Amino acid sequence: MKQTTILARTAREDFIGRDAELRTITQQGSAAKSRGLLLLAAPGAGASELLRQAYDQLFLQRRFSIPLHFALKRGEASETETARRFFKTLLQQFIAYRRVDPSLCEAPLTLPDLAELSLPADYELIAGLIEGFERSESSGREFVDFCLSLPHRLSVEGRTAYSLIDCLEVPPFGPELIVARELIQAVTRVNGPFAIAGLRRHAGELLHAADHLSRDVSDAIHIDCLSDEDANRLIDIVARHDAIETNQPTRDLIVQQLTGSPFYLSEFLRAARETGTQLTSFLNCQRLYVDELMGGSIKRYFDRIISSVADSPPTKRTLIRVLQESATSETRKSSLWTWKKRLGLAAHEFERVIEALHVYELVNSTAAFIEVNTDSSAWTDYLRAQYQLDVTGEPRAKVVAAMLLGTLKRAPQTMARKYRRESALGLSDLLPQFNCQSIPSVLLHYDRFAAAYKGEEAETIEAGLVAESDLIRLPQVVHSSACSAYLNTTACDPNRCVVAHGFEEAEYTDENEIIWLAAEIDSKLEASRELTEEWCDRLANLAAENRFDRFRIWLIAREGFSAEGSELLKQRGALSSGAQQFHLLLARIESETEASTAKADEYEMIIPMGEDSEFIAARTVEEIARRVSFRPEAINQIKTALVEACINAAEHSLSPDRKIYQRFVVEDDRLVVTVASRGIVPGQLSRQNGQEASMADEKEGAKSRRGWGLKLIKTLMDEVEFERVDDGTQLKMTKYIRK
Amino acid sequence: MTETSREIAVQARSVGDAAIIYASDYLNKLSGERIERECRRQLESGCRTLIINFRDTELVNSIGVSILVGVIDAAEQNTARLIFSDVNNHTANLFEMLGLTRHVSLATNEEEALSLASEARPRAS
Repeated sequence: MKQTTILARTAREDFIGRDAELRTITQQGSAAKSRGLLLLAAPGAGASELLRQAYDQLFLQRRFSIPLHFALKRGEASETETARRFFKTLLQQFIAYRRVDPSLCEAPLTLPDLAELSLPADYELIAGLIEGFERSESSGREFVDFCLSLPHRLSVEGRTAYSLIDCLEVPPFGPELIVARELIQAVTRVNGPFAIAGLRRHAGELLHAADHLSRDVSDAIHIDCLSDEDANRLIDIVARHDAIETNQPTRDLIVQQLTGSPFYLSEFLRAARETGTQLTSFLNCQRLYVDELMGGSIKRYFDRIISSVADSPPTKRTLIRVLQESATSETRKSSLWTWKKRLGLAAHEFERVIEALHVYELVNSTAAFIEVNTDSSAWTDYLRAQYQLDVTGEPRAKVVAAMLLGTLKRAPQTMARKYRRESALGLSDLLPQFNCQSIPSVLLHYDRFAAAYKGEEAETIEAGLVAESDLIRLPQVVHSSACSAYLNTTACDPNRCVVAHGFEEAEYTDENEIIWLAAEIDSKLEASRELTEEWCDRLANLAAENRFDRFRIWLIAREGFSAEGSELLKQRGALSSGAQQFHLLLARIESETEASTAKADEYEMIIPMGEDSEFIAARTVEEIARRVSFRPEAINQIKTALVEACINAAEHSLSPDRKIYQRFVVEDDRLVVTVASRGIVPGQLSRQNGQEASMADEKEGAKSRRGWGLKLIKTLMDEVEFERVDDGTQLKMTKYIRK
Repeated sequence: MTETSREIAVQARSVGDAAIIYASDYLNKLSGERIERECRRQLESGCRTLIINFRDTELVNSIGVSILVGVIDAAEQNTARLIFSDVNNHTANLFEMLGLTRHVSLATNEEEALSLASEARPRAS
């Protein structure tokens, strides 16, 4: 059965891809302790409909606060008018909710109607509010304050409201912005939940006056465009509903071209319905797309933004020219000064223009540079068309034809980009997961992997990797981006070529800083020496141009590398993997991440430093080890290692809380003991990972008095490593069960 | 468990010119220093053989071991013999690992330790 819509424009079951966000918003209304939620939306991401859907859900669930939804409008510049509409809209929604009658929400009702419709229990309250409204109507400022205080007045009467405020249409400047700020301030000061939606680059301006907000906002939801899959489903559902024929290739093309934007997609499908266009071929799709660019809603959307900042035709023409010429320049980036000079606007006007273009994400503006955003084909196509029409004065028919031919020629490349993206191994997802894990080094050396495991069964490879003793410790990656973000001149697929900044070992120091330059190479066969060399050079150049001091090249070729290619990689000190190694590495990292988040058999213990407390810890670990059938000798070794780790923590850390944090994790074949403490990291300590214990090498032998702890631990346990932590040290010690 | 609650006095007894000193359940800095002090006291009073009995010792840490090294030094300087008795396997391995057994004899029990002590005692001329 279809659920009724109240404010929503789309049936709930047809509202695609926002389930998690919707749940967060509706739960916000039900969580008594939580206060505010910010919805930071990309332009055209459908945040207004999300807020309306949330309203409907809250209305129908009828569980906690009373939902009140208000959308600020563009062009409603009068403070009084907005306040009046706010009061009436919210009062009407309140009565509709109390009467459980959704139809009242948007019915044309007068204030006396509302008084009549109020429940007997609410009558006095509603009548009083209406009387106050009428009494203050002619009093200007007082009237605005009275209207905006409605949620507060309801709250003090015990009717807690959940205010859902839609600021998506509020322009980046002008009187609407001032009204919006006042309204937000009024709503957020009420003792009840609230959700405010705005453009993500505009949130700071909107919340400017609400300085109390930071302590009340419990969460922020980022609303971006839909994923390819969700956007495809959206098209499918709407097209079926509107009897528009589509097929998988055309749906894919539309999604790619309109970047999964719910706004563009809805408008495009509406145009298809209105014109009776069947979207069964690329030609039909691109014809409709060009129509939308030349005179449809996509054009109107961009026209409105441009007109809001450039009111005179000459200014508009100049702005289009500067935008188009910047978009087609090599770097797409110019200095703020160049823009200002070319636009010829006064400082204040210029700031307004740039601010608006930035808020609507048509340009990316920093303090020094402006870069035209070319991620959206709709925007760059609009710009090109307007440039040809308004600046170079091309005949309209010629522009339409050129646009159609151009978009048709572009379609296969657009699809190819999608296929390439989908077939990428996923470097951009993997590298951010690097977090000092130890992995078999053979996974990063193709020649060694091929020699040991090529052609072997999966079980054999897995067993071999488990037994590998030559381990390599990955860095902790703290930031990663596509290579293209570093070098405009290098044409790299963003998903296949990544720069990852991080630290080796467990300390954030200059010496430990490292940059991994990783690229997935296209090669049907094993990558040849020439191809390997080309990529090594390309990444080395990138490092040189960006003055990266310490970097490591990691190349991945699906089928691996030829013997000559591997030789070159060895000479260059570069790491290499085939697709199989990549997947094995990914699986290990993901399983480690899962394991670290969900360990069933885990004990935790905190002991004070000193006073022989490590003896208590030793007794505890003895009990745990005994339960999992460690032999007595092994139990004693674990106890001694734990005692030594505790002594190290107590002696070296200058710990501020004087506590030792211990975790004992029992796994199938091992016991993992982690000992952590806050405080300083002794310089020599964290660099000892992977070094062999060398008790026998001790020249002084028994006569050297101290410094045995770590060596003892390494001798007594099977694996010992310092894990990276923000403060202090964390030593992980593993002992395998040998029955 | 606090330092003050743990065994304060080190148990010791004399057998001829040998002294038997009993280590506690946990040989750490504090208990190690007590043993060291008792050993030095025994040496000063003319003891020629020191036997440290580890029958109650469950755990030895590296600080405890380093203090034992100090006892080894003191014994050597006084040309006295040092014997560890009743050392459990794990602790014996630990002493072996840290090189203590190159300087100390291990005896399975006090009797064996005393026997070793008498073997080593210089004959009266």
